[in-house]
Amino acid sequence: MTTDITRIEPGAVVRPGNPPARRRTARMPTHWLGVAPFFLFAIMFLILPTGYLVVGAFQNPQGGLTLANIAALWEPTIRAAYWISIKVSFASAVLGALAGLAIAIAIVRGGLPGWVRGATLTFSGVASNFAGIPLAFAFLATLGRLGLVTILLKDVFGFNLYATGFNILSFWGLTLTYLYFQIPLMVVIITPAFDGLKKEWGEAAATLGATQWQYWRMVVIPVLWPSFLGTVILLFANAFGAIATAYALTGSSLNIVPILLYAQIRGDVLHNPHLGYAIAFGMIFITGMANVFYIWFRTRSERWLK
Amino acid sequence: MPDPFLSIQSVKKSFGETAVVRDFNLDVGRGEFISFLGPSGCGKTTMLRMVAGFEEPSAGRIVVDGKDVTNLKPNQRKIGMVFQAYALFPNLTVAQNIAFGLNVAGTPRAETAKRVSEMLVLIGLPQLGDRFPYQLSGGQQQRVALARALAPKPRLLLLDEPLSALDAKVRVSLREEIRQIQKELGITTIFVTHDQEEALSISDRIVVMNNGRADQVGTPFEIYNRPTTRFVANFVGTLNVLEGQVVDAGAGTIQVAGQTIELGRSLAGRSGGDGVSLALRPEAVSLGRTPGRPGALNGTIADVHFLGSVIRVRTKVGDRTVSLDTFNDPALPPPVSGSAAEIAFAPRDLMVLGD
Amino acid sequence: MKRGKFWAWLTFALGAAYFIIPLLATMEFAMRMRRGTYSFDAFAVVFGDPRFQATFMYSVVAAIFTILLGVLIVVPTAYWIRLRMPQIRPVIEFITLLPLVIPAIVIVFGYIRMYGSNSPLPFLGSARGTDALLVIGYATLALPYMYRAVDTGLRTIDVRTLTEAAQILGAGWTRIITRVILPNVLIAVLSGAFLTFAIVIGEFTIASLLNRPAFGPYLQNIGANRAYEPAALAVITFVITWGCMTVIQLLARFAPKSANRPN
Ligand SMILES: Nc1ncnc2c1ncn2[C@@H]1O[C@H](COP(=O)(O)OP(=O)(O)OP(=O)(O)O)[C@@H](O)[C@H]1O
Ligand SMILES: [Mg+2]
Repeated sequence: MTTDITRIEPGAVVRPGNPPARRRTARMPTHWLGVAPFFLFAIMFLILPTGYLVVGAFQNPQGGLTLANIAALWEPTIRAAYWISIKVSFASAVLGALAGLAIAIAIVRGGLPGWVRGATLTFSGVASNFAGIPLAFAFLATLGRLGLVTILLKDVFGFNLYATGFNILSFWGLTLTYLYFQIPLMVVIITPAFDGLKKEWGEAAATLGATQWQYWRMVVIPVLWPSFLGTVILLFANAFGAIATAYALTGSSLNIVPILLYAQIRGDVLHNPHLGYAIAFGMIFITGMANVFYIWFRTRSERWLK
Repeated sequence: MPDPFLSIQSVKKSFGETAVVRDFNLDVGRGEFISFLGPSGCGKTTMLRMVAGFEEPSAGRIVVDGKDVTNLKPNQRKIGMVFQAYALFPNLTVAQNIAFGLNVAGTPRAETAKRVSEMLVLIGLPQLGDRFPYQLSGGQQQRVALARALAPKPRLLLLDEPLSALDAKVRVSLREEIRQIQKELGITTIFVTHDQEEALSISDRIVVMNNGRADQVGTPFEIYNRPTTRFVANFVGTLNVLEGQVVDAGAGTIQVAGQTIELGRSLAGRSGGDGVSLALRPEAVSLGRTPGRPGALNGTIADVHFLGSVIRVRTKVGDRTVSLDTFNDPALPPPVSGSAAEIAFAPRDLMVLGD
Repeated sequence: MKRGKFWAWLTFALGAAYFIIPLLATMEFAMRMRRGTYSFDAFAVVFGDPRFQATFMYSVVAAIFTILLGVLIVVPTAYWIRLRMPQIRPVIEFITLLPLVIPAIVIVFGYIRMYGSNSPLPFLGSARGTDALLVIGYATLALPYMYRAVDTGLRTIDVRTLTEAAQILGAGWTRIITRVILPNVLIAVLSGAFLTFAIVIGEFTIASLLNRPAFGPYLQNIGANRAYEPAALAVITFVITWGCMTVIQLLARFAPKSANRPN
């Protein structure tokens, strides 16, 4: 799509009358001037602040180099927080991706009427952005001790949800809540990928004798797998950094990393500012590694992509 | 046809209220190369897709090699198909694409590899087996698509406008290649196109389709020179149409623009005074009396187009225009527009158009 | 085919249940405030709360400034990249995706440590400065979405040709940007703007850590102290989000269709 632009060498648009020599010397700076505000912004408010924390994670209060902060991440409370965060993010990303995929397949391939697809996509756009504190309120009103579903289950079906050990403030409660934005996000991203599958591929496979399953195994899954995995990673990062929902849902009773970091920022509860940096570094490291894995996987599996 | 390989019997297809294919009948012999030719939207693709099994006929039967396949699924029909947009699987290499049908059928590895390299040689791309589709030109992709369709040895090969996405030069060379391969393998083939030159140059027989029906089925020579309907005559090649009146149906005498011409054969089903449409190909008309072309009409030269080796002259006969082609002769002056002219033709080349 | 359709309907129905039941439950919960009967009391209380009005207005203003800042940063950059510097597009795209990888809480943590009142750039030294930092943080959060929306808009109109055509007709740069480019990407910019609004309006992490009187911290506070008002607030927020998305969809209908490109 961009080939026609990249093919034309930069600077092809020149006002007439500029002698070539002057143009050449004047070109570099003016060029970079156009993107300077962006880079300035990115460096000052995205890269430097992050870098500051990363560097701080490897320093002791005197400014010397140390790995002690990183080692301290293995303390039981911190390690437990990372572990719960990873579990919730992973579970909500994978379950959300699978459920989102199923819905996408149903609306794209299921032969449902056209309005179903339109309505699902519109709603998914809304729900994928309905996160944070209000989402926690909604789930408390649904599955909290006085929530509608909890009460209906008890009064109508005689089923006491909370007697089963279920708690909205638990791992599964949080995962179930996160799914409310994870599933629609998957639907919104993967549906266009399904539209990119050409009808003729399926027909060609059929004339070559392939069953529906063989076609999926040999063509559809390999073609969609990178987008799918990329979205899972995105969902993972999405849940891993989220704090508002969990905070409003559980207060500080569920010890996930962002809440731990939040408490540390507010009140230095760990009594070591550099340990806070290390926790932040750990968060970037985990989402970053997930992305590195994705990029590595993509370059390996997508030799067929330009 | 005594023992057709493919027999399409009274097939109809409607989408909702609209009938797209109406009562289509065709017998195709083993190893024949048939083209479906017709304007856009006449139902060629729909008919082809019914043979492939992607559409279910609303009525009628499709028989392949003596067996009714009307209700078989596409993947049970053993039919090869080539699509307009290549439709190669983007995640598979050329060799893997060609091997697809064999893998699906569980062919042993060694045999598959052998067949794939055979096919690569057949399409003239033996070194490109490891490339991905995006690394090939359009013509190469379409060759691979052909090889992929042929690799599992299908009983029938269907091609839906396989050349229309390619540029003119490639189109001509590839169509000859397709015909060559088809002859070599002796595979029964249906080729859909709306390019008449393509159909005329490579087919054993052509089916000219109009509005969901097979208007005429015949060899390229018959279709071009002996069209049986006005539609076929108009659709295939350029045509001069003259309106006349029957003077004597039995003797074949017709009056055109106040002049009388003899058809030399009787006009079945018409009587004196009926209107009649006569058609002549430009190349069947010459300027001035010519041996072997005893028929003649007087007119005036309207304009002259010099095309190089050929000069196309448009003459007015009454209120009708008759185009004709003469070869350029450096020794003679070219015809002059505005001058009187006599055009000559052989009465047997006059086509009487049905409606 | 028949069987497939059954499964498709079943999947759709299960999904619809999971997504609609919480909305109904929330609405029902919000209406329980008056004993023994359903009422809109909770909504009345919320709308009548001066803190609701103040924090909501604060967040609306913050959102507007965020959108302005986002447009100022993203539009010229995306345009310049399409026009003159396609070779650095991968770098820009990588940077715009970073906020999806670096959690907001980490970014704001960095701000707090870097821009404190004793630092060379003491944003946090004054209330106005902190407001500015909040807007900056929001612009960072919205960067991926804003950039994508604008870049897509620029792609469909083929900026290079438009710019060249305007230059041949003698237009200067100001005129090119204001008269040629902006009107054509306006729809894309507006889509990005409404998405930004939806993201920013109830944002909690940054606002709370910067101690700003924004809507997000207010929500949290109400959630911790009241019973029925949170449900009413959830309904209100959902309606706002829905409104933003609907506007974006409507805008998409007016977006210029690709004119001089086949695809
Ligand atoms: N699935 C469908 N539903 C409704 N109408 C259809 C469908 N498929 C084809 N048609 C209609 O049937 C008619 C014939 O279509 P078909 O694709 O067979 O034409 P064609 O001869 O292949 O034309 P072309 O040369 O343009 O490819 C067209 O008018 C088309 O609109
Ligand atoms: Mg067609």
